[in-house]
Amino acid sequence: MRQAGIYSGILCGKNGPHSLPLSRIKKIMKQSGEDVKMISCEAPLVFAKACELFIEELTARAYKVTMQGKRRTLQREDIAAAVTATDLFDFLLEMVSASVINDGRTATEST
Amino acid sequence: MASPGDGSRENGEHSPRSNVREQDRFLPVANISRIMKKALPANGKIAKDAKETMQECVSEFISFITSEASEKCQREKRKTINGDDLLSAMATLGFEEYIEPLKLYLQKYREGDSKLSTKVTDNAGKREATGLQVANQPGTSTQVEMKMPHHSSFAHGMTYMQSQTSLDKWDLVRHLCHSVKLIVASFHNFKKFRMVVGDIIYLRYILFVTKCSEKLF
Repeated sequence: MRQAGIYSGILCGKNGPHSLPLSRIKKIMKQSGEDVKMISCEAPLVFAKACELFIEELTARAYKVTMQGKRRTLQREDIAAAVTATDLFDFLLEMVSASVINDGRTATEST
Repeated sequence: MASPGDGSRENGEHSPRSNVREQDRFLPVANISRIMKKALPANGKIAKDAKETMQECVSEFISFITSEASEKCQREKRKTINGDDLLSAMATLGFEEYIEPLKLYLQKYREGDSKLSTKVTDNAGKREATGLQVANQPGTSTQVEMKMPHHSSFAHGMTYMQSQTSLDKWDLVRHLCHSVKLIVASFHNFKKFRMVVGDIIYLRYILFVTKCSEKLF
């Protein structure tokens, strides 16, 4: 992950110490499709902030579910519930339910 | 399937990208959990599986938006995905709320450009900063060079040489003061064995100014 060094050298001031590694974002972007070849240097930066907003929003929604269950620890099921409750996060449905199903299956297998 | 928690992540059955290393597929869990904690009250805790799920969700989010932006680029026959493509993809996919903060963020980032480059080259020597402040006084064309002090010291010196002819006595006096400071600063650099091209140009320029002033006075 030496690549991060190149970016953080140039962008550390813009990016802030609490943000996400831009080189990793770029890699994930490139993995999302065959035709994603060229990415402007601004794009990972936009995503760094967008992901921050996204994480905050999803966490806040999931924590509401946690609170409703009168718990203090945010769990995977809370995120799954938050995803199902919001149309905006429909694209995550498949993945969240897949991981829950997967989880259930491995749990039964292990017993 | 070693343990129930890791099952879905390691065998990656539901993912077409299972051949890619996990560390390349997800953003670091530490960064993500830090951001998650920001959204929680002080007494809130996050289970490990929730962090991992969030990691997957974030990667999915990036792919989701990128695919949309990429399609848009293809439709418009462009090859490079830029920031605006991502913004419009987000708008299309229902993340309108993110657009304003993102625009602000981008704007800040663009404005911060000049500040940043001084920040980055800061460890190249405070000399640059002080030198440039003085250099700005005569009111010659140094604004451009302000952006990247260290690497532009060459251009900086050149600008002065070109603008020499139009300067009057007092400007030269000011330049002389400037030169004294620069000499001190350059020696400071000599001491540290950090002689660079910029310093050589500076020294030449100082000699040039000194010669000019000798003629005038």
